Amino acid sequence: MAAFKVENINLWYDDNQALIDVSLDIPGNQVTAFIGPSGCGKSTLLRCFNRMNDLLPNTRIEGNIIMQDGREISDPSVDVVKLRTEVGMVFQSPNPFPMSVYDNVAYGLRCQGIKNKKQLNTTVEYSLRQAALWDEVKDSLQRNALKLSGGQQQRLCIARAIALEPNVLLMDEPTSALDPIATAKIEDLMQSLKRMYTIIIVTHSMSQAARISDQTAFFLLGKLIEVGPTTEIFQLPKDKRTEDYISGKFG
Amino acid sequence: MNRARRRKDFFRTAGTWASAGLSVLVLISVFVFVFSRGISTFSFDMLTDNYWATNYLLDIENGEANDFVPPAATDEEKYFSRKFGFSLVDDIDKENNRLMVVESMSALSPLHEGIIATAGSDQGKTHPVPLGARVRRIDYTNINGEARSAGILGQDSSAAKTIERLEIEAVSINGLFYQTTGGGIRGSIISTLMLIGLTLLFALPLGVSSAIYLHEIAPRNRLTSWIRAAVEMLAGVPSIIFGLMGVSMLFRITSLFGINTQSILLGSMTMTIMLLPLIMRQTEEALIVVPASLRMASLSLGASTTQTIFRVILPNALPGILSATLLSISRIIGESAALIFTMGTAISDNPKISQGATSLAVHIWTVMAGEQPNFELATAISLLILVMVLILNLTVKLLTYRINRKWQV
Ligand SMILES: Nc1ncnc2c1ncn2[C@@H]1O[C@H](COP(=O)(O)OP(=O)(O)O)[C@@H](O)[C@H]1O
Ligand SMILES: [Mg+2]
Repeated sequence: MAAFKVENINLWYDDNQALIDVSLDIPGNQVTAFIGPSGCGKSTLLRCFNRMNDLLPNTRIEGNIIMQDGREISDPSVDVVKLRTEVGMVFQSPNPFPMSVYDNVAYGLRCQGIKNKKQLNTTVEYSLRQAALWDEVKDSLQRNALKLSGGQQQRLCIARAIALEPNVLLMDEPTSALDPIATAKIEDLMQSLKRMYTIIIVTHSMSQAARISDQTAFFLLGKLIEVGPTTEIFQLPKDKRTEDYISGKFG
Repeated sequence: MNRARRRKDFFRTAGTWASAGLSVLVLISVFVFVFSRGISTFSFDMLTDNYWATNYLLDIENGEANDFVPPAATDEEKYFSRKFGFSLVDDIDKENNRLMVVESMSALSPLHEGIIATAGSDQGKTHPVPLGARVRRIDYTNINGEARSAGILGQDSSAAKTIERLEIEAVSINGLFYQTTGGGIRGSIISTLMLIGLTLLFALPLGVSSAIYLHEIAPRNRLTSWIRAAVEMLAGVPSIIFGLMGVSMLFRITSLFGINTQSILLGSMTMTIMLLPLIMRQTEEALIVVPASLRMASLSLGASTTQTIFRVILPNALPGILSATLLSISRIIGESAALIFTMGTAISDNPKISQGATSLAVHIWTVMAGEQPNFELATAISLLILVMVLILNLTVKLLTYRINRKWQV
């Protein structure tokens, strides 16, 4: 069952078209990787799934994204705030709030109006465990999150998104600002998370896409060139441009 | 480098150094001037005293003569009463009138306290006589049981004569008429604080929320950029024009509340309008440095725009809002033109929101504008103002430094 069906999406920033007629299915409980050179529209497409593009003025979108419940994502009946609790997002560089570790994780729930101390405690611990961060921070939950290392901050951001129990996690180059050890930890984490969440990850690293994803989509200049199971894309690419890109001829 | 170019460079550098040096010199001399002139008049009593001299007419009970020992160190100028245990010195006031002033007072002296005899709400209350009291008249009973008076109003022109008369004639003292020194700035300090409090009460919520609206909520279109430009221009309007606007337009608002004179309320409303650009500007600057990634993070977690503003953006803009507050306070302390129009120039020892009063700066104006300018008091107040403004501005510098460091991770 597809978590999202993307149908003929076109997106413009002012007069500059960033996505051209993109259609693909995002399968549930799998990792889908978006690859392609800088500026090809990966982040733009990713932001369509939680409608973060709505926040940018001068964007214009045509086409549909059908959600699991059959509704169109831009349908007036869709509550954007609720959508964003169901579709979590992790950004390129870690962006924890300048508050305590605990408050960071509890942030989303508190915005939903949840004040129950016990429920918050349980969720904070659960989310931090899921993000493989609990053991490192359990004794310093009141510490300012900005004091954590970069890798820890990024896992905190994942925990913060998980706390809302989303169905989908969007990750925009989540490891590009991290060192190899922290990157390895996040990749392990994604392997364990995909049992519970549908994950879409934008990555610059071919090897990362190959290691962690089930499906890979290759973009070039706003167009989806090729999409398929990761093993096929990497071993038997159908398109010459895909082959050139993954073999490192350009990028 | 050829010689001509080197010489040119030398003159240019020398020029910039000279002008920078000149401004530093001017700044230092302002401080040296105010400090050296002001510090001699400045005293703690000045901060707590009333400006207007008050007259006290006291009944003295149990004023019988006794036998007091004069204080160990006596010099020529002090005249001690062995019978009543106090001493007087001669002095003159600003207007060159002769005075005699209480210089020391034994705790057992009958004069150390009295009962207020003037009609009014304080009549009948016990009142301590302070050192420095300007003695006008002392009423006493002589050996024949007749009531007599000593002191300036009792035809004694000096402390020596007053004491001498008491020592010879008086059997008991039954009344004292004295005047407080006055010249203090307590009332103006209180009205300055009231002005600051009221102004911030109006200006902060208004300024901060307009800044939030303009920066976080309003669409970026021609109208908002026009509003922004208008606010910027408001910042350049001379304060005397705000003062005029205050008395002519805002006055109508205060008169709705039944306040038909210049008042602290009117002053604070005028200051509010004057300070809005500053507060909006400073707040907006603080909002700008809050990283966009935090807004994105908050919104991506299902927070509404309002929640994002109150939970993430405002807390992070708080240091900026605090420095806006401190700068505003320092502007209020320093303002005079707008306040002369809206709060008046009459010094009040008991300021009320609905009445006119002077801030410290206008207090300076008033004491200098009279027929006998009181230069000493003016410099002493200037000293106070300078120190406060200096402290406020240094705190702002420190805060700004901390804000800028916070985001440089
Ligand atoms: N907020 C924006 N406003 C205008 N143009 C944008 C914006 N974000 C991205 N773009 C443009 O859209 C294109 C795709 O960008 P993006 O989706 O960020 O690419 P990628 O993530 O693949 O590097 C680029 O040409 C970029 O310049
Ligand atoms: Mg990108």
